[in-house]
Amino acid sequence: MAAAGNQRVIVVGGGLAGLAATVRIAESGLAVDLFSVVPVKRSHSVCAQGGINACNEVARQQGYSEYEHFDETIYGGDFLADQHPVLEMANWAPKIIDLLDRMGVPFNRTSEGYRDLRLFGGSLFKRTHFAGATTGQQLIYALDEQTRRYESEGKVTKYEFWEFLWPVIEDGRAVGIVAQDMRTMQIRAFRADAVVMATGGCGLVYGKSTNSIICTGAAAARCYQAGVHYGNPEMIQVHPTAIPGADKLRLMSESARGEGGRVWVPRKKGDMRAPRDIPDAERYYFLEERYPKYGNIVPRDIATREIFSICVDDGLGVSGENQVYLDLTHRDPDYLKRKLEGILEIYEKFAGEDPYRNPMKIFPAVHYSMGGLWTTFTPGSYNPAQARHKHKSGSPAPIDAKVGQGMQLGAINNAMTNIEGLYAFGEVNFAYHGANRLGANALLSCLFDGLFCGVSVANYVRNAAPSKAPAESLPAAAYERVTQQEEAKVKNLLSTVNQGNYDEKTNAYVIHRELGVEMTTACTVVKSDARLRQCQSKLGELKGRYANVKLGDAAGWTNQSLSFARAVGDMLLVADAIALGSLERKESRGAHYRTDYKDRDDANFMKTTLASLKPETRDVSVQFVPIDASLILPEARTYGKVAADATSAAKQPVAAGV
Amino acid sequence: MATKHTDFPNHFLLRRLHSLTGVVPTGIFLITHLLTNSSVAWGNLDSRAKEYGHPGVATFQHEVNFIHSIPYLLIVEVFGLWLPIAFHSILGFYYALSGKSNVSAYAYQDNWRYTLQRISGYLGILFIFYHIATLRWGWTFLIPGGTQWDHNYAASTLAMALQGGGDGMTAAGLAVSAFYFIGVSLLVFHFANGLWTAAITWGITISVPAQKRWGVMCAGLGVALMAMAWASVIGYARLDVTAARQTEQRMLDGKSKPASSADNPAQTSSALPAR
Amino acid sequence: MIATISANPTHATPPTKLGRKVRFRIKRCEGPGKPSTWNTYTVTIDQKGANVISCLQQIAANPVTVEGTRTTPVVWDSGCLEEVCGACTMVINGKVRQSCSALIDHLAPNEGDEISLEPMSKFPVIRDLSVDRQRMFHNLARLKAWVPIDGTYALGGGPKESPEAQETRYALSTCMTCGCCLEACPQFNLETDASKWDSSFVGAQAISQARLFNMHETGKELAPARLDALMGPGGVSDCGNSQNCVKVCPKHIPLTESIAAVGRAVTLHAITKFFRG
Ligand SMILES: Cc1cc2nc3c(=O)[nH]c(=O)nc-3n(C[C@H](O)[C@H](O)[C@H](O)COP(=O)(O)OP(=O)(O)OC[C@H]3O[C@@H](n4cnc5c(N)ncnc54)[C@H](O)[C@@H]3O)c2cc1C
Ligand code: HEM
Ligand code: SF4
Ligand code: SF4
Ligand code: FES
Repeated sequence: MAAAGNQRVIVVGGGLAGLAATVRIAESGLAVDLFSVVPVKRSHSVCAQGGINACNEVARQQGYSEYEHFDETIYGGDFLADQHPVLEMANWAPKIIDLLDRMGVPFNRTSEGYRDLRLFGGSLFKRTHFAGATTGQQLIYALDEQTRRYESEGKVTKYEFWEFLWPVIEDGRAVGIVAQDMRTMQIRAFRADAVVMATGGCGLVYGKSTNSIICTGAAAARCYQAGVHYGNPEMIQVHPTAIPGADKLRLMSESARGEGGRVWVPRKKGDMRAPRDIPDAERYYFLEERYPKYGNIVPRDIATREIFSICVDDGLGVSGENQVYLDLTHRDPDYLKRKLEGILEIYEKFAGEDPYRNPMKIFPAVHYSMGGLWTTFTPGSYNPAQARHKHKSGSPAPIDAKVGQGMQLGAINNAMTNIEGLYAFGEVNFAYHGANRLGANALLSCLFDGLFCGVSVANYVRNAAPSKAPAESLPAAAYERVTQQEEAKVKNLLSTVNQGNYDEKTNAYVIHRELGVEMTTACTVVKSDARLRQCQSKLGELKGRYANVKLGDAAGWTNQSLSFARAVGDMLLVADAIALGSLERKESRGAHYRTDYKDRDDANFMKTTLASLKPETRDVSVQFVPIDASLILPEARTYGKVAADATSAAKQPVAAGV
Repeated sequence: MATKHTDFPNHFLLRRLHSLTGVVPTGIFLITHLLTNSSVAWGNLDSRAKEYGHPGVATFQHEVNFIHSIPYLLIVEVFGLWLPIAFHSILGFYYALSGKSNVSAYAYQDNWRYTLQRISGYLGILFIFYHIATLRWGWTFLIPGGTQWDHNYAASTLAMALQGGGDGMTAAGLAVSAFYFIGVSLLVFHFANGLWTAAITWGITISVPAQKRWGVMCAGLGVALMAMAWASVIGYARLDVTAARQTEQRMLDGKSKPASSADNPAQTSSALPAR
Repeated sequence: MIATISANPTHATPPTKLGRKVRFRIKRCEGPGKPSTWNTYTVTIDQKGANVISCLQQIAANPVTVEGTRTTPVVWDSGCLEEVCGACTMVINGKVRQSCSALIDHLAPNEGDEISLEPMSKFPVIRDLSVDRQRMFHNLARLKAWVPIDGTYALGGGPKESPEAQETRYALSTCMTCGCCLEACPQFNLETDASKWDSSFVGAQAISQARLFNMHETGKELAPARLDALMGPGGVSDCGNSQNCVKVCPKHIPLTESIAAVGRAVTLHAITKFFRG
């Protein structure tokens, strides 16, 4: 199909979402410029292990349906997500798996050669497709290959090691970006008729998390500073079991507990004996004691909260540190090897200890950001007169899975932010997961955004404003203005090099470390009014210090500390939004738990937190806007109670969800 | 030289011919050559050969005579042997230059063999050149004793070349023998290891176990060839030249007078010069 | 699947001596064409599970050498920090590996132990420990390492596949383009001139990827093109069978089997071509 003139689309981010978008948009005939701070193949999406959800024939014949997948996702997200987009995503999921399969993803196979499935949190049905223990890696490689194919055909131009700095917005419409080559340090503007942000999560705001080191959230924060709304910033998922590390908290899958892993700490505070020397009576199996019915396989948020409070409130963490034992040593090593070898190998490799003989030391870790850039959508054709009650698992679906019932295919505002022509795909999109993401749904949402909403981008470029006033022919002034703004920022930062002596107070790395510690203690597992206010004042202090930040490197070539210091400033603003969102949301919902408001409050807070930045003061403000809850009626999230009389791990809300 | 990759089939063909020439004419020749040469040792086992005196010398002479009876010998040698070896050596030299050995950082056994394959190639060229130049082209100035190899006196003249003359081992002779020992050993290694890599090159052994199994067989062949190679070099280095010469003379004479004592081998065997 | 960890022998892990000082000798270079120098830094190991990356982070915050000179922070690449993205590859104590999985307790268990860090030598240095591995991605394009699907429209599922075939493909597909196999390969040399990449040795990584795509039902369609490229200069026959690649590959990819399998494929391809034209 002939693209009008030189119409082009910029995709920022080469993770799963960005690559899916690139492939889809390039296929539609538009030229794509793809930006990424790392070679796209090394994006954070490679870390995903568990799998990707989709209704499938086996599950369907047992009573499962796309509709039930949709229902589970809404329920798992504690009724905070807009519902129509989730419906469309669930309906599309099987097509996405088929496509990945065609692209050559080595999904695990049954003996007959069909795609194998595994059970995952939040469902009674096997609906998770997986490729060994590295599903995310396999998926992103498949898309990377397709992108390379288009690149070699000249349809895609990659800008790897380029950092997105700012969107160029003219008359309320995104018409390009300004970016910096991280090698030559050249800053320049790129014109485009639409810009897709697919820059992933913001784990680094918490210092250490399960995220990759590049997940600063800075790119999203820059859009937010340029006027894009940020949705549900306070919804940060904390995974109960991760391996504490000096540089990263590596995920330890919940299947370790599923296979009999017991969580405990020494009863005596500060007991420094080796775990093997502590007799059973002196071990505190706190999950088993506090939850006699479920024991160690309590739902993820409960496990997280309990481990957290044992360490932080009771000070009972192993060796006085924030860690508890996850013990598999009572199990037969051969059995463990067969069932858990992959994840135990990670522990062995990074903790440097043998988990077959020594209990693992684990602690909850920040894992995923449900919140992100706020986006819109056009609801599809399914609009029941009245929202239905929660779907009964295994019962017939009220509707089929035809395309376009959830979201209108190709509607130009799908996944578009409040700025025209500026889209947000993947983890940086706040949509789909509400207050809590189900395991193996993130990869799905990334691909869905790219493949489904990618069509919207193409339509927008062809049929809306850009076709009348293509970016190509816009005056240069807007581009120059943003380029100068960014150049000035850099100049400013570089001018601090060698000014005075080394000082921890103005060192970007130290500020970042303190930010991480503060956010991790105040804005993760348990939050309270008092602690959040304290956090805000700490953030104020850090921002003050950041204003005088001093760099250690003036190089005009591959200056990583410049890039890092700049990102710290952006992270501080994301932190602001998280803290204020947490403070203002006076209820507990999903991942957001307030000790002073322990219950869910649908009347006031079944709403999206919309954060925006006042340009003058650079202060954040939040408001709560209604959501689309027209399909399923909210009801109490009672997993716990259901599971109280059932032992099936499948009933855990988000068990094994990685 | 490096050309654009449109030059198929040249690049591929050359590399495969290199591999092939290493195995088929060159390798097969190496085996037969070592078999022949080592007859100085195993010839002792052939009772028929004892009629002329030293059975090893006789067997060797017999083999040499056979080779020299091949019609159009020169053509066979040039096209079946010298050209393939030259082709393999020249290309091998060039290919060897394209790699950079790194055994100091990655001291794996396979890597050592890779490195040794190249070293043995370089030294192999040197050795083969010396070997041919001295014995075949008669560059006697390179031989300490100045001996001329004569195919009618195959063993004795060879022994003289290795011993630095006909009066027992000299210091210079020891050097030549040592050079032979090293050269021949390296070439044997080169061939055995080359057989192993050739199976990967051609895709004959794919799985690791298959490569291992074939490796054991190549090593077995290598050990056998090595035994022959050592037996030859040591055999000639220690050969009694005078006695050998007698045997050869007897054979040369015997050529005109067909075997008279053939029905009584025991008689001559008792006359063996015991050393 | 092959799952033994050779790098970190578990039972040999010494206990962490917190507070010990470890020296880092780091090869520095300000940029392409600039000379290399060595800087030595001391890092206090104050956390368990410290690895080379966490120490580099500590150095970055306050880069002062043992001589007391303040330097620029060291530049290096990293991403996932769990040995799955390939970014952080460098030469540590003379051997190539990922720095994120290089635990200090293994490399420098005692006070005063030294660790040396160098950039990979087979790729152009960008700055300090960061190198440009674009050539690896270029080689993937050179060998058309993709499945030529008809587009992203819903056309049903992919081909059925036996679990054995899946396992073989999966093992090959875990390659994270880290470059260890190339760094250790005696036949793979530094080439800064990108115009020569198409005729320089592709190396085990790309050969193995070609095998991966030649194994796939649809990927097979491009097999002749891939094999043609692999028969040219820099193709599979430039491998010298040193088998270093397979020993340093962090993902335990059966690279030498791939090389042999591709060797067989090009043999057959050449014969077919000869007789078919
Ligand atoms: C350990 C772990 C395990 C997980 N397991 C699962 C699982 O089993 N199933 C599941 O569904 N989900 C899982 N998730 C979640 C899932 O992996 C992520 O949500 C998803 O990969 C995000 O993809 P993305 O494309 O949105 O962003 P990313 O993959 O993070 O990519 C972001 C891209 O943006 C680029 N970028 C960022 N900033 C800039 C900038 N300023 N300029 C230019 N480019 C920029 C980066 O270079 C990168 O290419 C897991 C997450 C973690 C941490
Ligand atoms: C008696 C003489 C020789 C024999 C029998 C012999 C045999 C072989 C064989 C069988 C191979 C394996 C081919 C393959 O892996 O496909 C080989 C490889 C090789 N030979 Fe020789 N060779 C001989 C002499 C030489 C000489 C004189 C050189 C000179 C340098 C040489 C250089 C090489 C090299 C470099 C290789 C490795 C090629 C590669 O792997 O790319 N060889 N040889
Ligand atoms: S086997 Fe071949 S590709 Fe592998 S390291 Fe050796 S020469 Fe390089
Ligand atoms: S094959 Fe192994 S060593 Fe080579 S790039 Fe891939 S993962 Fe790295
Ligand atoms: S940081 Fe990804 S492999 Fe080390």
